[in-house]
Amino acid sequence: MKSKKCVAMLLAGGQGSRLGVLTGKIAKPAVPYGGKYRIIDFPLSNCTNSGIDTVGILTQYKPLELNDYVGSGKAWDLDRLDGGVHILPPYQSQQGGDWYKGTANAIYQNLSFIERYNPQYVLILSGDHIYKMDYSDMLNQHIESGAGCTIAVLDVSLEEASRFGIMNTKPDGTIYEFEEKPKQPKSTLASMGIYIFDWEKLRYYLTEDEKDPNSSNDFGKNIIPAMLGAGELLKVYRFNDYWKDVGTVDSLWDANLDLLNPNLNLDLADKNWKIYSKTTGTSPQYISDTAKVENSLITDGCEIYGDVDYSILFKDVTIEEGATVDYSLVMPGAIIKKGAKVRYSIIAENVVVEEGATVGGDPQVVGNENWGITVIGDNLTVGKNADVSANKMITEDVKEGAKI
Amino acid sequence: MRTSLVAGVIFANANDNMLKKLTSNRSMASVPFGARYRIVDFSLSNLVNAGVSSVGIITKENYRSLMDHVGNGVAWDLDRKNGGLYILPPYSSRDIRKYTDTVDALYGAMDYLNRCGSEYIALCDSYALANIDINAAVKAHIAKEADITVVYHKGTLPEAAGKKLVLTLADDGRITKMAQSVVSEAAYSMGVSIIKRDLFIKIIKDAYDEEIKNYEKDVLPKALSALKVYGFEHKGFVAVLDNTHTYYQASMALLDKEVRKELFNKERPILTKTRDDMPTRYGIQADVKNSLIGDGCIIEGTVKNSILFRGVKVAKGAVVENCILMQETVVENDAVLDNVIADKNSVISEKMVLKGTTEHHCFVRKSQIV
Repeated sequence: MKSKKCVAMLLAGGQGSRLGVLTGKIAKPAVPYGGKYRIIDFPLSNCTNSGIDTVGILTQYKPLELNDYVGSGKAWDLDRLDGGVHILPPYQSQQGGDWYKGTANAIYQNLSFIERYNPQYVLILSGDHIYKMDYSDMLNQHIESGAGCTIAVLDVSLEEASRFGIMNTKPDGTIYEFEEKPKQPKSTLASMGIYIFDWEKLRYYLTEDEKDPNSSNDFGKNIIPAMLGAGELLKVYRFNDYWKDVGTVDSLWDANLDLLNPNLNLDLADKNWKIYSKTTGTSPQYISDTAKVENSLITDGCEIYGDVDYSILFKDVTIEEGATVDYSLVMPGAIIKKGAKVRYSIIAENVVVEEGATVGGDPQVVGNENWGITVIGDNLTVGKNADVSANKMITEDVKEGAKI
Repeated sequence: MRTSLVAGVIFANANDNMLKKLTSNRSMASVPFGARYRIVDFSLSNLVNAGVSSVGIITKENYRSLMDHVGNGVAWDLDRKNGGLYILPPYSSRDIRKYTDTVDALYGAMDYLNRCGSEYIALCDSYALANIDINAAVKAHIAKEADITVVYHKGTLPEAAGKKLVLTLADDGRITKMAQSVVSEAAYSMGVSIIKRDLFIKIIKDAYDEEIKNYEKDVLPKALSALKVYGFEHKGFVAVLDNTHTYYQASMALLDKEVRKELFNKERPILTKTRDDMPTRYGIQADVKNSLIGDGCIIEGTVKNSILFRGVKVAKGAVVENCILMQETVVENDAVLDNVIADKNSVISEKMVLKGTTEHHCFVRKSQIV
């Protein structure tokens, strides 16, 4: 097998527990986004567009949907004779086996996968973020600087800095200190969880870390500090474009509706940096005489007879006459029936919102303290004339007329 | 090797006098239809939905667009080791005539017919479009012990429709008469037939030797006396595509919910090549009513009673009514269109007013800037 310049390892094992019922049955990277994508489309498309053709996807939590979705990788041009996409779940070996204990341990357990391609560099990614990035640009900087590890950073505001892993750097971009969620941040360069390592150094530090029973086996908490402590050269790669974490209900909703902002610096239609996804065929969308659609994204298979404003409708969604959808995400196959009102909500796959029901609440009406996005979990029914207020996470059918 | 029961043969060019405006530089099979499809998608999907895994597409000319669209058949699950999708352009060999008509074309495809190995052939022409249950047609063919089964539709034909192969059927479904004529209401062939492969090969060889030209017009009627030819009724929607007028009417029929439900039957989905478009974006001043829209459009103006294919842009202030706008058409600010059919990549400039009539649609050619 040919040697690869750079192999990407995509950490897709997390539960995304803050997404509640949305990740009840699927891993976070498989969560639907933007009308026809899934979160994992972004790191995968970025890899293809950056010329990286070998990607290991580390799965662990509820991987079925994700594995099925990724398949042979063809949809992202990653179905290759040499390289391509590989799903890497935890596995048994002669010495036994273990679940992935932490981000670093997950890579450690797959050192032999990386070894097969004998790369010079390894790119570590997570499957949790919406962004477009040319990894080859980061790789070039890494090579030119002679660093042992390059960490991509985003310049955040001082108020936000205490939520992130912060890199404290010298003027030339050399990292001298790493602080996890510092109360008094010394810099505003937040780690994006995207790393490029020299393969030999990665292998060394992962192996050393594995020997320490007290380690959390985490890149940020253990590997990076260990490299800093040993005097390795670590550099930041500054990223300036759109980057959104979609780990909470609010941020997922927000990131989706960002697509409706005309000034958004994330052009999914850009032919020079296409975001690929795996879509199965369905019919074109139909907007009827009784419909009113404004400011929204709608895709194939939708039948719209009601009003849709500032919302994103995924495929095969039906909005019946007299129904209204505002500031919401409606995921594939959902049906919003006559006279139902959905606002400031996430309606998951195949949900039925029966006639006259209302879901969610307007922050201006409900008041900011009581407000939050309402989520209706997949395949549930909200009964006729039921009322689900703001800031609710619904995990069971809602009975007719019920008030939640 | 496991072969499927039925192999498919699709005629890509149909009658080249049909839909002249839309087939000037593409085959009939490549003609866009229904906001995101090409005519061949329906034949391919019908075959694949019936379990066919081997399909040969016979083309005569103008087939670059078709080859580009179907590729290796992956969109219809036809990228196979066992079976697969084969484009069959004119067979250039000294002893084969250049295709003058369908018998020639089928004779030229003899290699494919010999090698596909299936027991039956499902032959699909490209002049009528529908979601056909080919599996049911094959079952009926076998049950009746027919030699040839012709899939037909019984109904009213549009006024502007051209000649059709009109069938007279006995009570048991056996076809007793076939004649080409212009009718307003009849049982007419949809250009889809089922026949045993061995018999088909023999019929084509004989017809070729006798210099008989057209399979449907000449071979089939002649076969009525010697062979058991039965009809299989397709009861659903049929798009008659003879000319621009009937094409327009068939397209607008898709604005009817029941037609869509039946044509885009989820049990037998119509598949097409994906373009990785974004979902369609509706802007602040978008006013869209009674329209069928493909993905990747950006709509900021008014669209009524129209069909928009993938990637169409309608700018602010533009008004599009009763139109069919094909892929990537751009309608600039304040342009006004009524009864226009715009081919791929055309541009209607700012403030341009383009109005056709229901009798005579205004046609914008591919890549034309108006």
